[in-house]
Amino acid sequence: MSPKPLISDALAAFLESGLSVTVGTRDGQLNPDSSRAWAVRIDADRTHLTAFLYTKAATAILRNLAAHPEIALAFDRPIDNRACQVKGLYESSRRARPGERTDVERQLDGFLSQLETIGIPRALTAGWRTWPCVAIRLRVTQLFEQTPGPGAGEPLR
Amino acid sequence: MIPLETLTSCFQGLLPAWLCTCSRDGVPNVAMLSHVDYVDSSHVALSFQFFNKSKRNVAENPRALVRLYDPDTLQMIALRLRFVRTETEGPVFEKMRLRIEAIASYSGLKGIFKLLGADIYEVLDVAPVEHEVGLPAPKLAPKHDSCVPFTMKALQEFADRIHRAATLDSLLDSVLETLERIFGFRHSMILLASEQPERLELIASRGYPPGGVGSEVGFGEGIIGMVAEARKPVRISGMLRQMLYAHAVAKRAQERGLCPDDRRIPLPGLANPESQLGIPLLAHDDLVGVLCVESNASYRFHEEDRAYLEVLGGYLAIAIQNVLLRERAEEGEEPAPAPGHSADGHGGSRSPAVHGLRPGIQVAYYKADECVLVDGEYLVRGLPAKLLRKLLHEHRAEGRDEFTNRLLRLDKSLQLPIVKDNLESRLILLRRRLEERCPEIRIAPSGRGRFRLELTGEVGLVEHP
Repeated sequence: MSPKPLISDALAAFLESGLSVTVGTRDGQLNPDSSRAWAVRIDADRTHLTAFLYTKAATAILRNLAAHPEIALAFDRPIDNRACQVKGLYESSRRARPGERTDVERQLDGFLSQLETIGIPRALTAGWRTWPCVAIRLRVTQLFEQTPGPGAGEPLR
Repeated sequence: MIPLETLTSCFQGLLPAWLCTCSRDGVPNVAMLSHVDYVDSSHVALSFQFFNKSKRNVAENPRALVRLYDPDTLQMIALRLRFVRTETEGPVFEKMRLRIEAIASYSGLKGIFKLLGADIYEVLDVAPVEHEVGLPAPKLAPKHDSCVPFTMKALQEFADRIHRAATLDSLLDSVLETLERIFGFRHSMILLASEQPERLELIASRGYPPGGVGSEVGFGEGIIGMVAEARKPVRISGMLRQMLYAHAVAKRAQERGLCPDDRRIPLPGLANPESQLGIPLLAHDDLVGVLCVESNASYRFHEEDRAYLEVLGGYLAIAIQNVLLRERAEEGEEPAPAPGHSADGHGGSRSPAVHGLRPGIQVAYYKADECVLVDGEYLVRGLPAKLLRKLLHEHRAEGRDEFTNRLLRLDKSLQLPIVKDNLESRLILLRRRLEERCPEIRIAPSGRGRFRLELTGEVGLVEHP
């Protein structure tokens, strides 16, 4: 019998719905670094995840990951602050393919729509650079609840 | 390094900030922050509301990174930090606590959504994140387009208006009018301390639909109650974002049965204000009341507004006390009129047909609750209720329609305190409340410390135990 997939279908749908995604890594001196991802894709095995970051914004992240594979991704839905954190180990990176751009833009559009709902017009985010992206693949090892309040930080079930 | 002083708008919490930390064994962690506050040119304070992984991480590895947005341009700013200590008291903690608890009370989360500590971090570096640039440079939003013009001339005019006000009534209205005309505060209200302990009552407002006079706020409730409790100004920007954050906490707390108090304290004033600024009106050690200004715009009130309004608030508090003392001193110079005689020779009745009012109303006074209902609708309680009962009772029993404050002060049944009896402010509240809810009964000022009771149609008075 195959093990239960780490990421449920419902959680995968949430993660890919167009959220605020913040990526965290660290260097050899344990200095944390961070950047924004514009989209994610959950693999069919529900254990691997690919994050799409604007290529030039990912330089320090990739440098860190090459030596220290630990990675964290914080997901937040701006309209209600439902949030979770994915932790994992870096496996590989590559240029995002042209065919993946549509999905990146779909998720980005979902995120920007949410920002509009809470009063941040698209004109304010027009300067964000989002493409080309680098695709960073990781193996998910842990999931945590991160919606603010009691229970934040507990393992996600 | 960008000077921290230039980033004041980034510390208003209009958009969530993100804290990235790393454990001793090298596992990074990313968490949302509810508040990042400026402390001094080399320190910031981060809100510590829940024990979490970030907290554990910085205890074993003090290095941290905060990403926060400039709300005017959406330029992302990265702050490289080193954890120094946690403060659980003092001005930095207190300033953060007041904002958080004001939001908590709006959400029914008092005691759950609270500040455990203000984590103080040394700022090692501040830099814009190159690829999250927000608005292109030529379209940069003006940073302080709504900044209030606190010029010396404006302050002089404000002071002049205060000096010219002969009564508390005119003082309150002229202050709010001046705040709008000169300083641009379109939505404002003044609440004065009630005779009930630790409660305030709205006595004057501007920029809102009528109906708010007499609204009560308890100490610790919302921004006004927090200002009253702490006797310190509270400024909140980006309320929508902070309320969303608080509601997320409320939902989690309810799911865990930790939120039995489902009572929501309605926001006074605007339905969904984005910015609020509350100022205590302090005369010496006395809390006279609270001045609150609101706006639908995010980050409408700046640090300069707080500083200037705090000064004006102190001035206003003393002016309120002075005008009350003056009114009281002058009222003793006029004799109390005899029953049945109006000062101007006119009776106290008006025709309902002329004014389009109800031909008859029933006023019910409930002694146990010290409360008045008119035709079953709540009107006032406490001293204003006792005052109205007395006026109507004397009008019916003796035909009196002209009254003086001095006469009321001598009435032991009203149980006014010997000093600081608040009679003038209670009368103003009663008069304004009647204007809004029961225009068939009118209290018309007729001279210093005196007024006339004018009734339209049949006004019945029923007294309940």
